[in-house]
Amino acid sequence: MGTFIQLTINGLTIGSFYALVALGYTIVYGIIRLINFAQGDLTVVGMFIGWSLLVQFGFKALPLPIAIFVAFFIPMIGTAITNVVVLQLAYKPLLKRSLLAILITALGASLVLSNLIRFVFGPAIEAYPDLVPLTGFSIGPAHVSYLQVTLFGASIVLMFALYLFVQRTAVGTAMRALAVDHDAARLMGINVDQIIRLAFVLGGLLAGASGVMLGIYYSQIHFSNGFLLGLRAFTAAVLGGIGNIPGAMAGGMIIGLLEAYTAGYLSSKWQDVVVFGVLIGVLVVRPMGLFGERVAERM
Amino acid sequence: MQPAPPVRETTTLDRIARLTGLTASPALRRWFDPETGRLTRLPFWLRALALAVAAAVALPLYNDNYVTAVAIGTATYAMLGLGLNIVVGYAGLLDLGYAAFFAIGAYTAALLMVNFHLNFFLTLPVAVGLTGLAGAILGYPTLRLRSDYLAIVTLGFGEMTRVAITNCDYCGGPNGIINIPFPSLFGLDLQNLEPTMRQDAFWIISVVLTLIALIFAYHIAHSRIGRGWVAMREDEFAAEAVGVPTLRLKLLAYVMGGMWAGLAGAFFATRIYAIDPTSFTFQISVLVLILIVIGGLGSLAGVLVGAAVVSVGPEVLRAVADQRILVYGIALIAMMLFRPQGIWPATRRKPKPFYGVDEEEAEELSRRMLREHQEQEAREDKKHESAGHKVAKVGEPILQVEGLAQQFGGVRAVDDVSFDVLRGEIFSIIGPNGAGKTTVFNCITGVQKPKSGKVGFNGRSLRGLPAHQAAARGLGRTFQGIRLFKQMAVFENVMVGLYSKHRTMTWQALLHTPGERAEEHRSLQEVRRWLRFVGLEEESGKLATELSYADQRRVEIARALASHPRLVLLDEPAAGMNPTEKVELVAVIRKIRDLGITVVLIDHDMALVMRVSDRIAVLDQGRLIALGQPAEIQENPQVIEAYLGREEEDDALMEAEGR
Repeated sequence: MGTFIQLTINGLTIGSFYALVALGYTIVYGIIRLINFAQGDLTVVGMFIGWSLLVQFGFKALPLPIAIFVAFFIPMIGTAITNVVVLQLAYKPLLKRSLLAILITALGASLVLSNLIRFVFGPAIEAYPDLVPLTGFSIGPAHVSYLQVTLFGASIVLMFALYLFVQRTAVGTAMRALAVDHDAARLMGINVDQIIRLAFVLGGLLAGASGVMLGIYYSQIHFSNGFLLGLRAFTAAVLGGIGNIPGAMAGGMIIGLLEAYTAGYLSSKWQDVVVFGVLIGVLVVRPMGLFGERVAERM
Repeated sequence: MQPAPPVRETTTLDRIARLTGLTASPALRRWFDPETGRLTRLPFWLRALALAVAAAVALPLYNDNYVTAVAIGTATYAMLGLGLNIVVGYAGLLDLGYAAFFAIGAYTAALLMVNFHLNFFLTLPVAVGLTGLAGAILGYPTLRLRSDYLAIVTLGFGEMTRVAITNCDYCGGPNGIINIPFPSLFGLDLQNLEPTMRQDAFWIISVVLTLIALIFAYHIAHSRIGRGWVAMREDEFAAEAVGVPTLRLKLLAYVMGGMWAGLAGAFFATRIYAIDPTSFTFQISVLVLILIVIGGLGSLAGVLVGAAVVSVGPEVLRAVADQRILVYGIALIAMMLFRPQGIWPATRRKPKPFYGVDEEEAEELSRRMLREHQEQEAREDKKHESAGHKVAKVGEPILQVEGLAQQFGGVRAVDDVSFDVLRGEIFSIIGPNGAGKTTVFNCITGVQKPKSGKVGFNGRSLRGLPAHQAAARGLGRTFQGIRLFKQMAVFENVMVGLYSKHRTMTWQALLHTPGERAEEHRSLQEVRRWLRFVGLEEESGKLATELSYADQRRVEIARALASHPRLVLLDEPAAGMNPTEKVELVAVIRKIRDLGITVVLIDHDMALVMRVSDRIAVLDQGRLIALGQPAEIQENPQVIEAYLGREEEDDALMEAEGR
């Protein structure tokens, strides 16, 4: 029982990171039906900008609140800008072309980003400083660190902020309109290009935040982290029903829990096999994902 | 008819002429023209063989170990690329886990060689067979997935396979398998050769395997199966509706793609001497994808060029070895942006598609078409009757729609509609926009499942039948918005319509047997007739998108007719046509009926419908409000009301507006 609680706590923590990255996929997908393969690598961009600020630029010596503010704020801006640059350079000219062309481009963008990180920051494994002390408290036999609580709380806050933004604001409504029909939205006077850019900005912000959180939580970072991270987060988005915000959150949590339980009860070696096995199983039974609605395929 | 605009860069020959600045002289053309040249008319296997022999001899003579090593790498990539090109290039299914098949092939061969001491050449069929099976296992559950979901599932499959191999003790775990023996053939063991000779022997083996992979890929691509794949890639929905069994073809694409990778994997294992899971990462999948994109999706020559690029690339880019993937990533994006067709693009235009097919006299042709159509009908009727079904004779109901209803959310798009269409008549369905006409079509052809009601066709129910089987039973159709296979030539579009009539098996297509060749030749003849029937023979070699709107509609009609259907459903064929074109269309519709094919027509043009129809059904708000001959329909008060609005309504409207 103790193990179970511990694994659940660990699973929910990593699940909340996956959920954040998955939201980035889902927002972009919902609007332009593109699997932004680069989302995982974008997260690693955020991870490295944060690390660079804290370690290379020495911000970790500043008082904790300022250090944390800087270590989140600047990477988030950086990834948002990166994402928009990728959009303008690579995706924009292809939006009217075939699905295959744009998917291949996204794959190219993913390769370019991860190797740019390698080019700029080098191929070594780097370590995040311990910003938050590793102490915690106990729930029965299980240990919960303050770090876990903080990061979990922060991601929940971000998710709800995003949810409210999309559901309650005028711009959010425009985004939802665009997700249904670009032409109709354009006729209603919505600036389609601007909303697409906004989706990429939001995706970038989420990637930056989750990147820094992941860096702090796992401590060790490497330029190639984006591949598996992106894969799992995308799996989460698809599992929950891509294009669906609560679905992405739920999907992220499910993937996190699956991973934790597999590691605890089976072996961490089999994590990916279990995760993808579940994905394929779910898609065979419900091709639109757990919470998704049937979306018409882009013609 | 307007003169055809000059088609630029139609052929490889023209492209080479442009690149080299040489003009393609008549003498050169006589030998090398892709359709009529003496050399290019030779069977593909012969030309490929000549090239392979040249390559196999040249490198050992050149005698540079380093060059040979790179060339062997190119051959391995080429085998992989040829397989992935089937899946991505032809069938249009993005597979990001292709390295899994490479791994399965390599491990199968390696384990058989090491643990069972089998000769390399004996492990080949097993490796190829097992990877084909793996393709089916991956393909089957993913057939109905949307194309972008497919990308992620295949990616996951690739990772799962790699993880499974890493954790499998029998496969050597993370350390893999070492001491894989070299091949031996006819008592000649490569083990006993000195390294340079061994390298040359490997080169020759790799050339032979690539040659086999290339020839089979060419044959399958130029068979009905390859055409079905491309049609599916261009428009899956339309392909299914004109008779292409899309689910089966997708599965076949996965199986074939897997087999090619299995071949490459087995060769890789024996050549590299030791394999481990790191040789089969996502990077390999991406690299193979990059090579087929760079070469040109769907182009066999492109695969060879792309393979050379990715194997020679790292040697040239040695200075930036660490940034190799960065360069590839940029190249991938740049290709998609600036040259999406690739370095050596596949061209589907053919200036002379019917070269070698007999001309037929126009007079004789129409009589022959009628006779052959009647013969075919008689044959089918006989078979149909002996199978215990009722055959509709001329004047009897061939299509029976009974109590058909369809609902979208709260809207009853079609509400209890019943009518019979008699064999041999021209039957029209008219009604205002949104009356449910196209929904009725879709329910008949199996594109949509009706909520309730029955559809009987030629004495049998069509219920639950997938669209391609309805097509195979003799139900042809066109679409409201034109749905041609855009990147295919006009004659190929029509040829896809013949899919359900073809009897070629996959193995026949792979081997390009005489039976298959004869069938292809007959099909070409058939296609030529139908294109002449709709007046488009001159345009046959162009891409479908290069035709005018009206001509595209005519291609659709020819495609629907190609398989000699019993009944053809024309969905707004006159939309967007000018008056002259409409007159021609009426003539074509009458000609279809004169062949004995029943016509069901939807159109908005009242004059056209009244002129051409034998009987007319009128739908309004999903209900059938009238059915009868044109004259009766014109008099029918309900019809007039539906089209012009009720008088009381008009009065009320006038009052409301204060007039």
